[in-house]
Amino acid sequence: MKPLTVIGFLGSTLDASKFGPSRWNKWRPTVGLAMHDDLRVDRLILLHGKAHDRLAAYVTEDVRAVSPETSVDLRRLDFKDPWDFEEVYGTLLDFARGQAFDPEAEDYLIHITTGTHVMQICLFLLTEARDLPGRLLQTQPSRGEIRPAGSYSIIDLDLSRYDSIATRFAAASAESASFLKSGIETRNGAFNRMIDEIERVALRSRAPVLLMGPTGAGKSQLARRIHELKRLKHQVAGSFIEVNCATLKGDNAMSALFGHRKGAFTGAVSDRPGLLRAADRGMLFLDEIGELGLDEQAMILRAIEDKRFLPVGSDREAASDFQLIAGTNRDLGEAVSAGAFREDLYARLNLWTFRLPGLAARREDIEPNLDYELDRFAEREGDRVSFNKEARQRYLAFATAPDASWPGNFRDLAASITRMATLAPRGRIDTETVDVEIARLRRLWSGQARADEAGAGDLLSEFLTADALAAIDRFDRVQLADVIRVCRASRTLSDAGRTLFNASRTRRSTANDADRLRKYLARFGLEWRAVAG
Amino acid sequence: MITIDGAEGEGGGQVVRNALALSLATGQPFRITNIRGGREKPGLMRQHLTAVEAACAIADATCDGAAVGASEITFHPGTVRAGDYHFAVGTAGSTSLVLQTVLMPLVMAGAPSRLVLEGGTHNMQAPPFDFIDRCFLPVLNRLGPRVTARLIRHGFYPRGGGRVEIEIAPAPLSPVDCLDRGAPLSVSATALIAGLPFDIVTREIETARRFLDWPEEAFATHELPADRGPGNVLLLEAAFERGTEIVTGFGKIGTSAQSLAKTAAQRMAGFIGSAAFAGPYLADQLLLPFALAGGGAFTTVKPSRHSLTAADVIARFTGQRWTFAAQDDGTHLARRI
Repeated sequence: MKPLTVIGFLGSTLDASKFGPSRWNKWRPTVGLAMHDDLRVDRLILLHGKAHDRLAAYVTEDVRAVSPETSVDLRRLDFKDPWDFEEVYGTLLDFARGQAFDPEAEDYLIHITTGTHVMQICLFLLTEARDLPGRLLQTQPSRGEIRPAGSYSIIDLDLSRYDSIATRFAAASAESASFLKSGIETRNGAFNRMIDEIERVALRSRAPVLLMGPTGAGKSQLARRIHELKRLKHQVAGSFIEVNCATLKGDNAMSALFGHRKGAFTGAVSDRPGLLRAADRGMLFLDEIGELGLDEQAMILRAIEDKRFLPVGSDREAASDFQLIAGTNRDLGEAVSAGAFREDLYARLNLWTFRLPGLAARREDIEPNLDYELDRFAEREGDRVSFNKEARQRYLAFATAPDASWPGNFRDLAASITRMATLAPRGRIDTETVDVEIARLRRLWSGQARADEAGAGDLLSEFLTADALAAIDRFDRVQLADVIRVCRASRTLSDAGRTLFNASRTRRSTANDADRLRKYLARFGLEWRAVAG
Repeated sequence: MITIDGAEGEGGGQVVRNALALSLATGQPFRITNIRGGREKPGLMRQHLTAVEAACAIADATCDGAAVGASEITFHPGTVRAGDYHFAVGTAGSTSLVLQTVLMPLVMAGAPSRLVLEGGTHNMQAPPFDFIDRCFLPVLNRLGPRVTARLIRHGFYPRGGGRVEIEIAPAPLSPVDCLDRGAPLSVSATALIAGLPFDIVTREIETARRFLDWPEEAFATHELPADRGPGNVLLLEAAFERGTEIVTGFGKIGTSAQSLAKTAAQRMAGFIGSAAFAGPYLADQLLLPFALAGGGAFTTVKPSRHSLTAADVIARFTGQRWTFAAQDDGTHLARRI
């Protein structure tokens, strides 16, 4: 006979009673489950909060009286908010992972009658996911008679007749899957599919992950959420270390990443462990990895492959076991062909590559992010700010319009909402605040556009004489500059043609992209060989 | 191997307990199938499992298949070892029933034993401590051994938590005849209460007095500390020169004080009106020690199904046939034929 262990919460209401003999005339689920003739509980793991220490001790004494066969194992589990899904689920998952369950040697019943509804749902989910390897135990009072034991039923979720419940609860488990999105209910289908895939990869793989996307698309925040998710699931124990490689220049880059020995160079007055060692058993996020020097790239590659590296000025290797997440807004493939990025490191990074779209490509997610930013503002400032209806509509109409370019992506949106929330009179964003903000954004973005146009001029001057350039309309300059950029990044004329005519080529019966591109360049007296350089 | 159909006769836990005691006392293994087959929840329940474990503990015995809900077990007794033992029974279980399992084997062991039993001491469907102490053990001691019991703490359903201590000084068992209970010596009616309104026992005593023509000083109430409760029993006791009978009414939710007192008092009046040595419950209990002594006889009222089933199980282990023969005076004579 396998010993039986029951795991459940102390019911702060249901298990409570008057401290006197009348308690034996009341159904108390936790005591009752130890009173059945045909259910022998060898061990009861009773979870309870600090506030209920006294009740827990009292219930324990009564369980022992009615069931000397049962050893009661009291476990303190405190929740800041026992109705908070994420907190309860995470804490219970930690608890479950921390138990040395042995289903071969012991049977487990998960008592779901006590605790808040959220606790009950989480126990269900963990049982359904086999994090708690048992069957569900449900207890209820006896109808029409006073029986302190009540009655019980055991539900084995592995039986197919419970499939319909499992399906219904899949919706609830999706809630925990939205973790990576910080709980923002994003509506963009492509983005949501990508997040689902990242979640699967994050939980099943320790290989490096590459996040591509423009500045402000949320690479850094996503990397941090991946780390938190893995920590919650006990897959990493160490810290999240984040560094922007664009800030690492010269000697300092090596020493910041790999550490140095005291006296390794002037100014090295003490040992420095370096970022890689700080990320041991955790996660290292190297943002803008394309900015890293070639020497550092070689060292990083070795550190990923062998988990070892040489600190500056040291003759002994240091070890660090970290998972790498890299971020970039550059096309690393292009950088490899230009010789600015190591091909072998790129090959390592390119296993799990995810492209985070910019905000302009996810206009349907602007509204949920707007609410998220308002929540964050409230959390940060302790001040809840809201839009009035008209102001909200006006801002969203502007923000989601095709001409809103959002060059700084979610970072721009966050800054914009913070400005409005700060300036909002009496905690209410009105149309006036919105109008001022829209004007400000237009001004900022036109400055950006002028910079783009100026950038185009710089590029074109490499190929065209000043006279020729002066003869080209501003309208055409920007377009031509972009065409040249694509050509430089492409291997062949046909490749460039395919990239440039990506939409219209699907509608044509014959694909003559190369010819179209050649004719376009010829209009400006340019040839493929010259621009591909 | 001896195989017993657990659903035959009375078909309850007593079959299991008697078989365990006889197996330990006679050294024969047995298999029991269909345990409690006719009951609403068939199979071994927790309290029966505790009895099985106690039987294993005192004799290094092994039991295959013992689990809550099991319908079949196979028991191989080892050698019974005298000693100090402590057994605790859960909620519905009575200390008397565990005692019923291990007492006779220990009485027949070569050295003294001491038992500490925890659980219910005054539970329905089991003899209360007072009955063991003043009805059963005095008869057992007449067969030779010296067994004494002490009630340390009362334990009522559902809480349990009572404690009984038993001292066993073994001796070879010799057959005894208990045919005549002798002249009446004294009577008493005690209503025990703990953690419940006191008017319950007042009503029980009032009712019992209407049905029993006993002197006023025979009736008493006894209030136990509230933290022992809730619990209530009415104990009616009639002592004769050579034996004592106790009839018990157990208070429970849904039964009025008056009705339980009336039933108990009528049963006691019925026993007093007969000439039998043993009441129906004592007759159940006596068959086992008498059979292990190899003979003797006692008179009793009409044999219960429990008694007839006990006689069947005894026959399987000892080959002895015990019968209940109706006598002219209305009593029945239990003896080995």
